[in-house]
Amino acid sequence: MGFNSDYFWECLRSGIIYIPNTIKLVFISLLTGFIFGTIIALIRVYKVPVINKVLAIFVTVYQGVPIVVALLLYNLLFMLEFNNLAKFLNLSKTVKDVDNIWVGIFALTLTAICSMSEVIRGALLSIDKGQDEAGYSVGLTKVQTIRRIIVPQMVPVAIPMMINNIVGLIKASSVVMAIGITEIAAGAIIPGSRTYSFFEGYAAAALIYWTFTVLIEYLAGRLRKHTGKFKRSSYD
Amino acid sequence: MIEVNNVKKSFGKSEVLKGVSVHVEDGEVVVILGPSGSGKTTLLRCINFLETADSGELTMGNISVNLKKANKKQILHIRRKMAFVFQNYNLFANKTALENVMEGLVTARKIPKDKAKEQAKEALDWVGLSDKYDYYPSRLSGGQQQRVGIARAFVLNPEVILFDEPTSALDPELVGETLDLIKRVAQKGITMIVVTHEMSFAQDVADKVIFMDEGVVVEEGSPAQIFSRPKEERTKQFLSRIISLESNYSI
Repeated sequence: MGFNSDYFWECLRSGIIYIPNTIKLVFISLLTGFIFGTIIALIRVYKVPVINKVLAIFVTVYQGVPIVVALLLYNLLFMLEFNNLAKFLNLSKTVKDVDNIWVGIFALTLTAICSMSEVIRGALLSIDKGQDEAGYSVGLTKVQTIRRIIVPQMVPVAIPMMINNIVGLIKASSVVMAIGITEIAAGAIIPGSRTYSFFEGYAAAALIYWTFTVLIEYLAGRLRKHTGKFKRSSYD
Repeated sequence: MIEVNNVKKSFGKSEVLKGVSVHVEDGEVVVILGPSGSGKTTLLRCINFLETADSGELTMGNISVNLKKANKKQILHIRRKMAFVFQNYNLFANKTALENVMEGLVTARKIPKDKAKEQAKEALDWVGLSDKYDYYPSRLSGGQQQRVGIARAFVLNPEVILFDEPTSALDPELVGETLDLIKRVAQKGITMIVVTHEMSFAQDVADKVIFMDEGVVVEEGSPAQIFSRPKEERTKQFLSRIISLESNYSI
């Protein structure tokens, strides 16, 4: 099996064109996942009655579903039911007017919400209850304690797990090709459909993902050092 | 004046407080003694609402609240008249010594930052940590951390400071200096409720000693009464054990 470097560059360019799609898939899901994940984690750690149990069940059940299965399921529901739903809501759109990247974003978002909530919950639980109590004892409210004492201590704990999740989600975003969305991986093998030679395409896709990941891990390392300066050792 | 009446608290099936009442006059130093599991710490935590009692009344000056049913606003109001010194210090790990002492002033009491900084420095100087303003708790020894903890409580100028076994986590050498500091707080005339196992401290500093066992107040009185002429059999038993232990080991 030969490796044609010119052809590799062609695949690389073809993959790079679709980076915006991957960013859209990952960025929107992560942002929404982060916001809702934080809310879910706080509700669960501070034991808000009833909702905390409901959310615990939701997270546990949802994490048991493989992302590809969820994705295919949502896509099917979207194809079958979107027209009815649009009619019901008096929207003048049909299934053809909506880019199905939103189905991909929806599936990745739900996954991100669950995993982010677990990351943040883990980080919150790692902080001694005494820190909350000390906050209350000097007269802070619960919200002030969370904002000024708990969150700043939680961030350096959460970063490594968070990065693991972000990287995982970037890589998992390639599964959306199962419902026909073109992103980095699918883009890089487009030239292959003409030449029937896929090796360079896969290698190009791998290189793009790898670059992304290294960049994010570098930034995370910097951030962690900065936020964890109160710890005894800046490396732990 | 601070008073709690008929405080009850159970954890699951074990009843930790079986109706405890304590009355503390302004400026009084009350020391609570008793064996482990007698409910001393739980009582202190209930007073500061760190634990929700099953029943009981708290009176502070002219405010009276139910320990179980107090709403958030009442709890905050009462807490801002108190300060708490913890057994394991519980300094804010993400804040320097100075920021630890400032936090309650700035965030809870809304005192301007520069003024709070001045007061916090004064408090840290007073506990002998003028060279440690910018140290994070992770860089301080246990004794230093507890002194920051005491400064953090003291700076709020509370009506009462609650001390929960403030020297139990310290190594023996540091116990003395920390107790001396607490004695100095007492001399400032601040009302204090101290849970401790340090008998000599109780004898020296307390205006009133309360002996608790199995969730009830067994006996209370002046240190002289409790240590020299205890009335209850349980108090005698506890004191004789502790005192014989102390003499056995202090060679």
